[in-house]
Amino acid sequence: MAATLGFTMVALHPVLVALSLAGALLYGAVSRGWRAVLGGLRWQLPLVVLVALVNPLFVREGSTEIARLFDQPVYAESLAFGLTMAGMFIASVTWLQLGEQILPYDKVLALLGKRLPVLGLMVSMTMRLVPRFVRQGRQIASVHDVAVPGEGARRRLRQSSVLMGWALEDSLETADAMRARGWNACPRRTTYARYRFAARDAWWLVGLGAAAVAIGAAVWRQLTGFAFYPVVTFGPALDAAGLAGYVLFAGWMVLPAVLHVYETGRFA
Amino acid sequence: MSGAREGAAVAAGGPAAISGGAVDGGRSLAGGVSGAGVTGAALDGARFAAASAVAFGCESVSGSAVAGVEADGALVDGVPAIGVRHLSFAYPESAEPVLSDVSFDVPQGAFALLVGDTGSGKSTLLSLLKPQVAPAGTISGEALVFGRPVASLSAEESARTVGFVFQDPDNQVVCDSVWHEMAFGLENLGTPQDQMRRRVAEMSYFFGIEPWFRMKTDELSGGRKQLLALASTLVMQPRILLLDEPTAQLDPIAAKNFAHALFRVNRELGCTVVVATHAPELLANYATCAFRLHNARVEVTGDGEVLPCGGGDASPASAASATTVSEPATSASAASTSPASATQVTGLRRLLPHVPQHSSPQIAESGDVWFRYSRDADWVLRGLDLQVATGDIHALVGGNGSGKSTILKLLAGVCHAQKGRVRAPQSGRALLPQDPKALFAEETVKEELMEWARDGGYGPGEASAMLCRMGLEQKADLHPYDLSGGQRQLLALGKLLLMKPSLLLLDEPTKGLDARSRRLVAEALSEQRACGVTMVVATHDLDFVQACCGTVSMVFDGETACTEPVDEFFHNNLFYRP
Repeated sequence: MAATLGFTMVALHPVLVALSLAGALLYGAVSRGWRAVLGGLRWQLPLVVLVALVNPLFVREGSTEIARLFDQPVYAESLAFGLTMAGMFIASVTWLQLGEQILPYDKVLALLGKRLPVLGLMVSMTMRLVPRFVRQGRQIASVHDVAVPGEGARRRLRQSSVLMGWALEDSLETADAMRARGWNACPRRTTYARYRFAARDAWWLVGLGAAAVAIGAAVWRQLTGFAFYPVVTFGPALDAAGLAGYVLFAGWMVLPAVLHVYETGRFA
Repeated sequence: MSGAREGAAVAAGGPAAISGGAVDGGRSLAGGVSGAGVTGAALDGARFAAASAVAFGCESVSGSAVAGVEADGALVDGVPAIGVRHLSFAYPESAEPVLSDVSFDVPQGAFALLVGDTGSGKSTLLSLLKPQVAPAGTISGEALVFGRPVASLSAEESARTVGFVFQDPDNQVVCDSVWHEMAFGLENLGTPQDQMRRRVAEMSYFFGIEPWFRMKTDELSGGRKQLLALASTLVMQPRILLLDEPTAQLDPIAAKNFAHALFRVNRELGCTVVVATHAPELLANYATCAFRLHNARVEVTGDGEVLPCGGGDASPASAASATTVSEPATSASAASTSPASATQVTGLRRLLPHVPQHSSPQIAESGDVWFRYSRDADWVLRGLDLQVATGDIHALVGGNGSGKSTILKLLAGVCHAQKGRVRAPQSGRALLPQDPKALFAEETVKEELMEWARDGGYGPGEASAMLCRMGLEQKADLHPYDLSGGQRQLLALGKLLLMKPSLLLLDEPTKGLDARSRRLVAEALSEQRACGVTMVVATHDLDFVQACCGTVSMVFDGETACTEPVDEFFHNNLFYRP
């Protein structure tokens, strides 16, 4: 996950960005459905167009002039740059959104569990309290708004102070309940692990690590030769190693989608 | 009352069958099991275990299992599970002791009830048996657990020996998912992972938690949360279980399920169970002994004596003519009730004669309302029709999740129906939530009542008058959270009434209240009705409905199954009665 995001944000290269974006959208489609992805496109496409059009107006470099706007040349290179930039932005955001599905927080907890059990518990408690406070906040708001109709930031501030008082009061009982079940009774806490780290997981880790290194090298190679201005040059891109790099990168980006389809097909 | 009849009708009425028939009116201690002596309890317990195994299709439990099943530790015969010797306790600020010279023993394997009104000190007494949750104050005397003083138990020993379940299901849950909550106690004790898995699996199997083992705790109903609290305490295998009014916040069906789970814990696991409650009729069938806490002292109610049901109010004013309430001034330990007069069971007598409402104008109505909370959620209301007559107290009854609170929200204007129309006065509405804490914004009771003075157009004089009317004059300088449950409810009610609403919507106003507080709330509402306020009350409490409501609507499957005047409603029902 971290590697994916890293590659996306670092590689400002049209082909790589396009591959990353394709991978993100594909995974979104298989895990959340086509409708969700199209719904996302609703705000993404205008943003792409906006950034792509704005960039040429501010950056005057480039060589291939395609239009004149307000007596200023609009260069294809800056348009391409804008498009690439916007694509990268959207790819990053989409990956972050999907990150919640790839790495749900309880798996993060399982990773932390053995080393920092208290931290794991704190995350768990936070995730329990957040929806509860939202629910209580809505209740408070509805009751106060019905009795004294009106609007305003002061009211919301007042209502949140009601919520704070209520939450603090309840937390005393929660603390009692924790102590009654032995909180702080023993020096060392253990963690109930729902996931096991098996040999298969170790192999996957090694494999992914190696692939990440290889892709990193390929990306580096691509980027060193690449430039947008003054002319879009691809550098040593289309030789065999470059193509292999592209394929590897594409494979990495598409891997989550492939795995998801495999799992749902095989186990669902 | 409702417990017994509904228990007989509903399939889970096993224990009633065992103890020899459904019980009307008078509530006697479980017929077959007497509370005399350790061995007596153990033997009868064995018989119960065998009988319960047959009735519930559980695996047969050997007799020895009842006497105390533990993986570690020797079972010491003859030592009472809990021994209290001349225990006195007073809170730091108050001169009057909450408990004075209390002494009693709870035998091993017993199911003990600690009965008393709210504020009688039963919660304090229970919490003194577990130092981790005990309040600060001056203690004298001894509290012993299996012969050892509680103060001498280390935190770990205390967690492994004595379990504690609190009243509010929501506050006890610490973690975000059920599996984590079950494992919480074991994690605290540093249990190795394999052993943790095993114990969690065993306990989930015992309670039938597997279907919802992976759910998020926030999505559970109140009954399940309380069951989860019980399971996550028992997973550490304590030999004593203390419960502080565990069913007060639950709806009747969930309360019965919980009571039955406690019964199984006591008989099948051999756990000594002590329940503090102000409404013993739910658990009376399961109990082996009972103690009554009155005037800071404990009296044992022996065999054959009838447990007072609900109302512990010894004032003669509460007795209606139809019953013989014998309450000698010296010891208020027994009150006999006649089976026929249902209203006396909880001390809520009918407060106002019923007035037919046919020709009254309607202050609010809803026609063919369809509502759901979000696009992918299920419909909560399906074509609901409701007419609320002006000046009436209209009750909405129905099961958990039937949509009663939703109807109140629609009438209040908090939500809007997707289909159908809702007509209600646009101003002059007030909504009293299930938890009155949602209303409290100030530091003292007096300031609380004055918070909306400017918007409501009233002054300090009217606030003081309301304070007196709700009986809170002495508490004017207390923080709202320092009041008891019933007083908080009355304070919230008073605050809303000062706004002079024409339509008052109440969501479960008697939740968790003892009989005296319920009576106070019923009286307050009837008074307001006499002043012309229309009220819609969503409640499970059928005694309360019969005491002060005029019309009843039963909500089922998203519609109103029927709407009738109160007497007709209860007359026509087969078993949905107080």
